Amino acid sequence: MAFLEIKNLCAKVGEKQILKDFSLTINEGEIHAIMGPNGSGKSTLSNVIAGHPAYEVTAGSITFKGQDLLAMRADERANSGVFLAFQYPTELPGVGTALFLKTAINAKRKFLGLPDLDAVQFMKRLKTRATALGVTDEMLKRPVNVGFSGGEKKKMETFQMAFLEPDFCILDEMDSGLDIDALRVVANGVNVMHEPHRAFLLITHYQRLLDYIVPDFVHIMVDGKIVQSGDKTLALQLEEKGYENYK
Amino acid sequence: MKITNNISLTGYNGVLTETVFGTEPMEIVVPENSEFTAHILHISGPITLRVILNGEYAKCDIKIAYLSNKNNHNNIKVEVIHQYKNTASSQVIKGILTDTSKMVFDGIIRIPFDSQKCDGHQNHRAILLSDTASVQATPELEIYADDVKCSHGSAVGALDENHLFYLLSRGIPMDEAKKILLKSYVMEILPETWEQYVDEWMDENV
Ligand SMILES: Nc1ncnc2c1ncn2[C@@H]1O[C@H](COP(=O)(O)OP(=O)(O)O)[C@@H](O)[C@H]1O
Ligand SMILES: [Mg+2]
Repeated sequence: MAFLEIKNLCAKVGEKQILKDFSLTINEGEIHAIMGPNGSGKSTLSNVIAGHPAYEVTAGSITFKGQDLLAMRADERANSGVFLAFQYPTELPGVGTALFLKTAINAKRKFLGLPDLDAVQFMKRLKTRATALGVTDEMLKRPVNVGFSGGEKKKMETFQMAFLEPDFCILDEMDSGLDIDALRVVANGVNVMHEPHRAFLLITHYQRLLDYIVPDFVHIMVDGKIVQSGDKTLALQLEEKGYENYK
Repeated sequence: MKITNNISLTGYNGVLTETVFGTEPMEIVVPENSEFTAHILHISGPITLRVILNGEYAKCDIKIAYLSNKNNHNNIKVEVIHQYKNTASSQVIKGILTDTSKMVFDGIIRIPFDSQKCDGHQNHRAILLSDTASVQATPELEIYADDVKCSHGSAVGALDENHLFYLLSRGIPMDEAKKILLKSYVMEILPETWEQYVDEWMDENV
């Protein structure tokens, strides 16, 4: 049984059909990259997997660890192990980052039938992950994503991911807005999480990210579906030739 | 504990022992170089507040959060009169309405001819948690002086879908996500010690 199986998925937002017969299978331990021009539906795919209510699935299925993902609420998907690092993380004024993460981790633990983390366990876990990703105490005191630069927001998304330890991680254009040093830190954060029970879907525009996180498969997405799949060399070819051949 | 209205007023040299939520307007006269600050958590009844900035460099800073439930129909009226030049006022009003409650909000800024160089700002926002709750907001600017800075705005709507989704996508269930967002929205303008009142209202109404 595949870890994540997307079959013939069609989805629209408003009246606009965006995903058109999209299929993809991901097994445990794999890293997949999806590359594609702007507007091809990459963020739509991530939002549909995460369960954003603005996107309507009109056909197809997604099974995750044998369960019908589309039948689950967004919070249930998250607590079952799906995590989306957003292309444009939402700012939550007035909602402190630490409290937010404490609520999230305890919601997940409750879902899994585990007791809440106490204050000491929580702080320990928070500090360990923060240190690894260069997230300072001052950053943890700010409201969620408020007052962060684009690059810092991406770092915070990766930090949340490291903190919550999901099984299936979607990273939507996480390299945009990051300078090389930050990219290294963030990529390292992903690489240390690369374990046999976990899988990754990297969405990116540029092959640069794939120098730091090496994918097992690269897919090219154009106009709502995958038009070509290959190994990491496909990304290099794409870097040379662009998307022209696929239009 | 039954939560009721809360009020905290500072910087006003007067006696404020009367119950301020009667039908009579409560009038505050702010002398020159003084600042009047009000924090109000409104649950029920009418509020009529008139602030007269009665000397140069008088200021007022008014923050009102209202939480309306059931079939409560209320009205809040805030009137700020910039009687002197170089006076400044700020009003921030934030509401949450549920069930079939209704709020009528009137916010008035008056700046007469001679009151140049005044700053008057008013911002009202309301979040509706049900289709049957409603808000009628009428800002009124009566400005005769020409060298002033004034602004007002009113926005009424549901909780932001993207804000909610961000919390859900991290595993936080809908009810808890709503409470977190609504609480941060009103606590932004209230003293920290009032958190318990807001929590209690949320637990009962969200
Ligand atoms: N919430 C939305 N409302 C309206 N249109 C949307 C929304 N999300 C995406 N779209 C449209 O869907 C298409 C695909 O967008 P998106 O999935 O963001 O592509 P990509 O991430 O590949 O750049 C675009 O034409 C975009 O304008
Ligand atoms: Mg995108």
